[in-house]
Amino acid sequence: MIKREFKVNLKSFLIWLTILVLMFLVVYLIYPYMITDETMKEFDEMMKIFPPEVLTAFNMDIASISTVYGWFKTEGFTYVLLIIGLYASILGGSILLKEEDDQTIEYLDSLPIKRSNIVTNKIIVGIIYVLLLNILLFIFNYISLTISGDFNQKEFILLSITPILIALPLLAINLFISTFLRKTKGTIGIGLGIVFIFYVLSVLSEITSKVEFLKYFTIYTLADVRNVIMDVSINPIMILISLGITIIFIIGTYLRYNKKELV
Amino acid sequence: MSKSIIELKHLKKYYDTSRGIEDVSLKIDKGDIYGFIGPNGSGKSTTIRTIMTLINKTSGEIYINGKELEFDDVKVKRSIGYLPSEINLYDDMTTKELLDYHESFYKEDLSKRRKELVKLLKVDENKKVGALSLGNQKKVGLVLALMHEPEILILDEPTSGLDPIMQNTLHDILLKEKEKGTTILYSSHVLNEVSNICDKVGFIKDGIIIKEDLMENIKKENYTYLKIISNEIDKIKKDLKLKVHKELNNEIVFINTLTPKELITKLKDYNIEHLLIEEVPLEDLFINYYK
Repeated sequence: MIKREFKVNLKSFLIWLTILVLMFLVVYLIYPYMITDETMKEFDEMMKIFPPEVLTAFNMDIASISTVYGWFKTEGFTYVLLIIGLYASILGGSILLKEEDDQTIEYLDSLPIKRSNIVTNKIIVGIIYVLLLNILLFIFNYISLTISGDFNQKEFILLSITPILIALPLLAINLFISTFLRKTKGTIGIGLGIVFIFYVLSVLSEITSKVEFLKYFTIYTLADVRNVIMDVSINPIMILISLGITIIFIIGTYLRYNKKELV
Repeated sequence: MSKSIIELKHLKKYYDTSRGIEDVSLKIDKGDIYGFIGPNGSGKSTTIRTIMTLINKTSGEIYINGKELEFDDVKVKRSIGYLPSEINLYDDMTTKELLDYHESFYKEDLSKRRKELVKLLKVDENKKVGALSLGNQKKVGLVLALMHEPEILILDEPTSGLDPIMQNTLHDILLKEKEKGTTILYSSHVLNEVSNICDKVGFIKDGIIIKEDLMENIKKENYTYLKIISNEIDKIKKDLKLKVHKELNNEIVFINTLTPKELITKLKDYNIEHLLIEEVPLEDLFINYYK
């Protein structure tokens, strides 16, 4: 069963990987030509217009975009977090529910396999694809940044781990939500919604101290990119919370799915 | 006493407030073919899906092989071959890939039986499942249901989409399965279809079993059709006091419960142009149950 799951989900995985790789490839190819003394001067002037809180929210106060790596740490990494988050959300929302939507579950559930094993197989494939997307993107970025110039290897490796801390809980949350649904039709919307709400909450919490508490309500806090850039370390508590949320929602998925009416 | 392989006791299923099945009780003995008959929406598929634990029963009991059915019991699943009424298989696979996939869930070597069934049902293994017609998909579904040689076969409207030749082939296969001791639950909305192979039939209406009997007894229902053509129809109607099945001008068809002797006595003084006594077709019996 697991082999089939890999095959079924391969196409969407390749599409998401291509989107990410192409996006970075374009930037890596044109960025060196964009960064001249003159454009940097203009850019520095432009940055002064922005309130410091906005610069903080996008980590532009602690990293300069005068190099490709600088761009990667700020703007580029925001895209990585958003796109990997979206992939994990949509995958989580559809991987289990697809069988019901396609009505193939009536066949699958009549086979001598426990429902929990169906869930396990799907979760394993989901996690592997999320990790694989991250690993392949890491390899691509590592090679590209090595060619492009200097970068802090340790910081880069730690940064590349952080999307996993948000992607796994997002995968699990969306898997859990999908056990309440019958069709995959709404799952893309729900997946997008969850990612953007979490992301907006994360940005807001960094813009002003008045709503700093919002960071407790968003998965994106777990990426903790600012801390990684400043301290060149990952806070182990974030890893534990990420794993904790993932495990809780996966347990919830098993419990719900074992009671679900499948047709 | 023969052993019940499937037994349902007051099975009830409600979807929120809407009725799926109200009260289904039935017993299927080992090696029997049980015709589960009812029109669309009567609760046949709901009953079957409850047995398959695809949906949760509201109340009642299900026994398989004398043991109360537990949710998601793999051992029970292994003993059942199931063909749903609407077949939805993995469209992206070729039939061969699907059969291989199916085989991978069983420890036993299913290749011999698979080959036999593929040949008997004339299944093209090289085509993608999604490219097959409904009838051919049904044939693939039948191979899947039968290839692990299950003790119990649950077939929900198995012949829909099959041509008459293939229907006969299927019935031959089922009779051979019966000889081997396989217990079969065969759901259909056509009584004629199951009359030649079923040992017992249960009629379901609005989620309730309204009649259950041996097929031979159903066939011997103690009434016939009595067709009379006469210019004294009104008088005959009053005198015979029989239920009218159909009436047109001076021609009438009664539901006859009288013996031939009683009929001759009662009709001897009438001017009758034509008289015919005939057996009630099974489908008319079926319709009568659902009136």
